[in-house]
Amino acid sequence: VDIFLQYLANGIIIGSTYVLVAVGLTLIFGILGVVNFAHGEFYMLGAYVGVMAVMFLGVPLFVALIVVLGFSALLGLGAEAVLHRPMRERDATSSIIASFGLAVALQNAALLAFGPQPILLRTELANISVELGPVFLPFQRVLIPIVMAVLIGLLYVVLRYTWIGWSLRAMSQHPTVARLCGVRTSRVAIVTFMAGSALAGVAGFLMSSVFMVHPLIGSMIVLKAFTVVILGGMGSVTGAALAGLLLGITESMTSGYLANGLRDIVGFVFVIAALLFRPQGLFGRAIERS
Amino acid sequence: MLSVLGGSLAAPTIVRAQDTSPITIGGMLPLSGPGAIEGRQVLKGLEFAVKEANEKGGALGRQIKLVLEDDESNSTKGVTAVRRLIEREKVPFIVGTYPTAVVMAAMKVAAEYKVPMLSGGSTGAGATDANTPGDPWFFRCWPDSNAQGRDTADAILKRFNGTRIGIIHDTTNYGVTLADQVTKLITSGGGNVLTRDSFTLGEQDFSSMLTRLRGLKPDVLYVAGWAGDGANIVRQAYETGLRVQFIGSGSMQSDDFIRLAGPAAEGFAVATQFEPTTPNAFGRAFGERFKAAHKEEANSLNALGFDSTNIGIEALRRAGKPDGLAIQGMLKTGMKDFKIVQGPDGQTAAFDEKGSVNYPFFIAIVKNGRRTL
Repeated sequence: VDIFLQYLANGIIIGSTYVLVAVGLTLIFGILGVVNFAHGEFYMLGAYVGVMAVMFLGVPLFVALIVVLGFSALLGLGAEAVLHRPMRERDATSSIIASFGLAVALQNAALLAFGPQPILLRTELANISVELGPVFLPFQRVLIPIVMAVLIGLLYVVLRYTWIGWSLRAMSQHPTVARLCGVRTSRVAIVTFMAGSALAGVAGFLMSSVFMVHPLIGSMIVLKAFTVVILGGMGSVTGAALAGLLLGITESMTSGYLANGLRDIVGFVFVIAALLFRPQGLFGRAIERS
Repeated sequence: MLSVLGGSLAAPTIVRAQDTSPITIGGMLPLSGPGAIEGRQVLKGLEFAVKEANEKGGALGRQIKLVLEDDESNSTKGVTAVRRLIEREKVPFIVGTYPTAVVMAAMKVAAEYKVPMLSGGSTGAGATDANTPGDPWFFRCWPDSNAQGRDTADAILKRFNGTRIGIIHDTTNYGVTLADQVTKLITSGGGNVLTRDSFTLGEQDFSSMLTRLRGLKPDVLYVAGWAGDGANIVRQAYETGLRVQFIGSGSMQSDDFIRLAGPAAEGFAVATQFEPTTPNAFGRAFGERFKAAHKEEANSLNALGFDSTNIGIEALRRAGKPDGLAIQGMLKTGMKDFKIVQGPDGQTAAFDEKGSVNYPFFIAIVKNGRRTL
């Protein structure tokens, strides 16, 4: 049982990063219908900006987090201008292909700016460890699910109880009607991209002290995030949150009890099964669109 | 007599009129993507050898120019890179590349064009085994992965007295070949391989796998893979509370490995063919010159890049013309007196019929953030 709890904790931590990346992805898809393959690059650049802020400007971690949030939001603003605004009137494939292009451009920009060498954020937190009964964790790992819970909770509150949240949800239900009711759809699009990008950037920054940062990490995490989005139901925020944790835990159990080589296979088998038997996702609703 | 005189008088003028342009030689390495850490280290060795050769007047009275191609550890790109170097740059030999899979795809093309390749870090036995014995086109001036595996398995069993051994490897040709071989040698040598785990190149989270390994209480863990992943594993093992003698594959000889793994790297062991403190006098002298130029210690990736390039340039000099076939002929038999910086003292570039040079590896252990022999 002890070891089971340890695997569970590891799974929740890795799952939390999947959630942070996937929720942004699903938000952008659900509200704007944009399938954003450049989302992993938001994660990667968030990590780099955070590490640079701490290592070269010497700012404290909390300030670095704000820098990351600000930078990622700006990045989202730019991405919206490239991926959504000019493509609004065209069919969805245009923005998908544009997002691939953006991903390649950002990846190579990072390669030129930061080089291929992996870097790692070293903090004083690295030496603190937490013991919760039989579970043993470095403190910087414990931070990840906590920050995830806070941010997702915040997002939930915003979506549910604020004017912006209402506009976002109205837009995701029916853009034309939302517009007729006075929702400023162009502003909603910008806010969505900024929020999605900020979540991914924070995830990247959180992981930069646990895992290594290099220009290719984005393309790896975005695959996991897509797995999570499909499992959770395209466009469903709660679905993405639950599916992200589920995928993390499943992966952890697989490499704990079976073999590490199987962990990636398990996730994709889930996705294929979900697409076959529950195409709307584990937590999604099947909707008939007129 | 007159004609001889005329010939000897005319010849130098012809040579001078003919060509004083630099001789281009090819370098092909992963400079981006996975393997870029290693590729960039090897590159420093290439550049250093070219710089030293040019300071001594180049080869055949001409300067040497290194033309680089980035293969991104990708076989398709490797084949294109070789074609480009040979067809467009007309290089007489190529130093490259790091991943064995890419070498195996590229060496066929190079052999068709009759341009020899000298390894830029590829250690997999598959590459030299793919040579036709007696007529190799791919040359590696250090022992293959089998020898590396043999010396590593020896160290696991004898030096670290391992009886309960765990093996972790990536799913590349390099990782799988080494893991298979070490498993076989350990089992036949009386050790017990408790577990074997694989991981995908660039995988980030190993915590659950390492937690399970901790429960198995191994006394030695062997990691076969590339430096970035190896450093990640060693660091996360430390965080997980797994205290065990780690021994890594050859790619983890780099200082980047120690930098990334941090304090977790202490005690880590690795088979190596070169260290700045090597008993090889020619190698130590290289290490000192390299340090003076780069303000950092030379590592084995620098050393092998230097050796491959240095051997290629010397073979070009001895062949007397920038011609692939002539250089290959010289590499096969004509370099047995030419010293290299790797291996034991006095080691030379005595290639065997498969294009490999054989000598025992050293086992280095990390102490106070430095590998020591």
